[in-house]
Amino acid sequence: MSKQCRNWVSKVRVNTQAVLKRAQHIQGRKLAKKQWQAAWLLKAVTCIDLTTLAGDDTPSNVHRLCLKAIQPVRYDLLKSMDMHDKGVTTAAVCVYPSRVADAVKSLKAANSSLPVASVATGFPAGQTPLKTRLEEVRMAVVDGATEIDIVINRTLALTGQWEAMYDEICQFREACGDAHMKTILAIGELGTFTNVYKASLVAMMAGSDFIKTSTGKEAVNATYPVAIVMVRAIRDYFLCTGHKVGFKPAGGIRTAKEALVWLTLMKEELGDDWLHPHLFRLGASSLLADIERQIYHYVTGQYAAFHELPMA
Amino acid sequence: MAGSTAKTVHDIFQSMEYGPTSSSAATAQAWLDHHSRSLGLFMDGKFVCPADRQTCSLVDSKGSAVCSTVCAVDHDVSKCVSSAVIGFKAWSSLSCFERAKVLLKMGSVLGQHGQCVSEVCELSKTSCSPSTLLRLLQYYSSWAQLRDSLITDWSPLGVVAVVASDDCSLYSLMQKVVPALAMGNSVVIVPGRSSAPPALLLAQLFMEAGLPSSALSVLTGSDVSLGAKVAQNPNISYVTYSGNKQDGVTLCKATAGLGVPVSVSPCVGATCPFIIFESADIDSAVEGVMETAFKAKKEVQWVLCVQESVLDGVVSRLRLRMAAMKCVALASEGDRAQVDAALQEAQKQGATLLQPCAAPPSGTQFPPTVLCGTAPSSPCVVNPPPGPLLPLMSFRSNTEAVSLANHSPHGQAASIWTEDLTLALETAKSLSVGSVWVNSHSMSDPCLPASGHKDSGTCTDGGQEGLYQFLQPSSSSSSPPLPRSSSISMDYSNFGTATSPAVIPNGSDPASAPKSYLQFVGGKSCKSESGSSVAVQSPEGTTVLAYCPDGGRKDVRNAVEAAIKVQPGWMKKSMSARAQSLHSLAKGLEAKRRDIAASINAQTGLSLEEADKEVELSIARLSDWAACCDKIQGGAPPVPQSGFALSLPEALGVVGVVLPDNRPFLSMVTLLGAAIAMGNAVVMVPSQKHPLPALAFIQVLQSADLPAGLVNIITGSRDQLTAALANHSVLKAIWYWGNAEGCQYLQYTCTSPLKTLWLHCQKEEKDGGMDWTQLRPSHKEEMWRKAVQWKSIWIPTA
Repeated sequence: MSKQCRNWVSKVRVNTQAVLKRAQHIQGRKLAKKQWQAAWLLKAVTCIDLTTLAGDDTPSNVHRLCLKAIQPVRYDLLKSMDMHDKGVTTAAVCVYPSRVADAVKSLKAANSSLPVASVATGFPAGQTPLKTRLEEVRMAVVDGATEIDIVINRTLALTGQWEAMYDEICQFREACGDAHMKTILAIGELGTFTNVYKASLVAMMAGSDFIKTSTGKEAVNATYPVAIVMVRAIRDYFLCTGHKVGFKPAGGIRTAKEALVWLTLMKEELGDDWLHPHLFRLGASSLLADIERQIYHYVTGQYAAFHELPMA
Repeated sequence: MAGSTAKTVHDIFQSMEYGPTSSSAATAQAWLDHHSRSLGLFMDGKFVCPADRQTCSLVDSKGSAVCSTVCAVDHDVSKCVSSAVIGFKAWSSLSCFERAKVLLKMGSVLGQHGQCVSEVCELSKTSCSPSTLLRLLQYYSSWAQLRDSLITDWSPLGVVAVVASDDCSLYSLMQKVVPALAMGNSVVIVPGRSSAPPALLLAQLFMEAGLPSSALSVLTGSDVSLGAKVAQNPNISYVTYSGNKQDGVTLCKATAGLGVPVSVSPCVGATCPFIIFESADIDSAVEGVMETAFKAKKEVQWVLCVQESVLDGVVSRLRLRMAAMKCVALASEGDRAQVDAALQEAQKQGATLLQPCAAPPSGTQFPPTVLCGTAPSSPCVVNPPPGPLLPLMSFRSNTEAVSLANHSPHGQAASIWTEDLTLALETAKSLSVGSVWVNSHSMSDPCLPASGHKDSGTCTDGGQEGLYQFLQPSSSSSSPPLPRSSSISMDYSNFGTATSPAVIPNGSDPASAPKSYLQFVGGKSCKSESGSSVAVQSPEGTTVLAYCPDGGRKDVRNAVEAAIKVQPGWMKKSMSARAQSLHSLAKGLEAKRRDIAASINAQTGLSLEEADKEVELSIARLSDWAACCDKIQGGAPPVPQSGFALSLPEALGVVGVVLPDNRPFLSMVTLLGAAIAMGNAVVMVPSQKHPLPALAFIQVLQSADLPAGLVNIITGSRDQLTAALANHSVLKAIWYWGNAEGCQYLQYTCTSPLKTLWLHCQKEEKDGGMDWTQLRPSHKEEMWRKAVQWKSIWIPTA
């Protein structure tokens, strides 16, 4: 880590109340209705990393997930909006390393080039030896994952060992090879907004393609204020280096309305460039069902029963 | 609209533009329709539509007609005010509890009709959320309840006129109306064009809440001249104004000499610094700028001051954040011309523009624009044009930031951004503004008192402190300090120019030759600059007692210069050090009590025994004020927002005092004590009739432990010295005991910059009902409250 970078990290200041107020302001924005709502929701769909991260994952539910990812919204609904041929799929599917092979197989069988993302590096706690964490990354890549969601070592962040953290992430970066690297900061365990900002900067300096809020397994997950801190770090990094890093909120995002607020937040803070899957992802599992219901309502004027929409 | 509804899902999917958000105005439209879209005047608890009046039509932001209001004429005014007098009787005779109940009830009525209120505000282009109005009502209803137990010995004024300019927001207007009502006054609102419909609606709702009819009336007109017409009515006891400076000055000049006190809060159009230190959370600070600086309708004009070390970071973030912004509508084509001229001038001086897009060649749409590289001397900083323009200046050090921010005629508010608490508090203390927002902006709450500093106001609004403008000490109701009169036609440029009769040698007996006194300027006894003297007559008016200097404009200038040099240091002194100095002054007076008593005796004819008593009382009074030094303090009132807010009393600066004829010594010591105990410096003009005791006091001042220049005494023609005080911009306040003509002169003249006036028109033997020997607690309170201004500091936290 260069002296300049160290200096940059050390100068970070975040005013908590101002960030909270900004978050309230964004949440309080009136959202557009009708076709605007439908279009924005479809955009949200294309940004979803459709995820299953459970102890009881098996090839069969991973298979279902993959097929849902390819056809996230019922074909007839898309057709009525003239969106059936616009490539509306989720951005990726996201699974545990051991399920990567299953997902790759299912997608290949369905003739889809949808990327498979794998969490790695001792997910979710990151409390395993560095050696095995690196090995995990390499194996996921070998199995066909093209996106790796790594978790940072919170011990290093909380004790202020930013350089050590930087070195670790650099090693992960190397292990990822050509795969996209998304760095999970586990913001629920970082204590302060200032730490979140610093961790974001360090993760970006070490070569992350995305920074991601949380694993979904901590007590606090993706909240708007914390996201504001992270996207401002992204902006800061962009202003200084000209390099655009993506953002992925994950954990606890369940409703269509929340998805719209997330898009608004990105548009407000970073601009339209960050409204596309190459710079914005939503990590979610049950969100898609709610979005599909809202789209169903837009198209038909009726509220759908759960069984009317295909399950994942 | 047709074009936008034709947009397909796919179009929007590609562009990711924001869609239209609908805001309904159905309730407001229904209310307006109910009144056939022409709103009358509101008096006697109902709408009145007198025939044959001119009307004023109001359009909404899209240019379609909203409604019309009536332009009241003299007849309407007198009818309205006489009913307000009846309203005052009914309202003030209720118990505190009953008044509080009405205000609380108004809160729930507002809750019921909040939608209608906010829609009417929206249509009238004056944003005001019902929740802020609710907070006003709740806060002041508790003051209504507690008035008699916590503010004892004060009573309401009578009929209060609250006047607003066209651009004044409904909130700023109600910020004065509600406390006036809470204290038991009846109120006549003279709203501006945009606040008229919502003010009429609120008046109607107040009736629903059980306010006695005619305790609140609304008179609408075409401009602020209606406010002056209302003030002319002899039944109006107090006029308070909110809005832009220009109309405020017009109102002050139009009401000069009517014998009605007028206070002004020019909350619209003040220039306010927005300071970003290098220790700030730059992103949040820039967000603050985005929220407040480019609004289509903004009350204040911000100037962005950024520390040089983070200038690039701020500018690049602004550029990025502004990229997506759209053009903002200017008020008129005329504004566009002003904006264009200002930009051209700035660019000619080398300023660079930061805009999301180039300005359309003509029309009222204009892009948000940051003017980088301006300086305090740039015309766009000195005279900010309307529209979404934001001048940006850089500074080097913390102290330079303060000087840059304070170097402005305005003193309304400032926003400062730093994560360094010490720096934040130091800066907040040094800024001469009424409100300081730390890491935030534009916050307000009725529990915090704030006075506009410098040219930004002559009264305190908010908190308990803000209630006193609507109250008077109970005893003085028999004879108000400023009796109603009609203004005299006078030549203001001639006031105080009459020369005093020359003193010529008359070859009198050297043994009985009258003594020549010196005046006291900058800590030194001296002659007047002109070198001439005036004669002081004995009580019978038959013999010349003494000669005193004939002070003038230059003496006042010297005194003010000396005073402003030492005043900041005096204010910074510890409270106990200030108290100590006052005690020593009292002690010095004790030592000279015989001399002083003799001069009182010689000057006024009061018996030696009585005179000695007066001196003794004066000594006690000084000790009284010394004791007050560390008892008058601000606090940290609990605010509904999360975080802290501080309210601090601060000295006004230099106060000019034209002293009363009555009890010349006691009154001088009392007023002097009040002023300097609160941290002010004074320039005093002793009674022209009875100057000797004040001149005898100079020997006490000389030996006292006060900074040289803190207290100045200049004798001479009262009118001439009054004119000199009025025309010195450093003075923030003038306390005046004199004649009606002088009062009128001061009211007319002290408008630019604004001075806080405390006027007393003294008649024979009576000066404003004040009995100097027996000062009631409420009088004492009034005095020290006149000697301070309030600052509020917001420190929001998570």
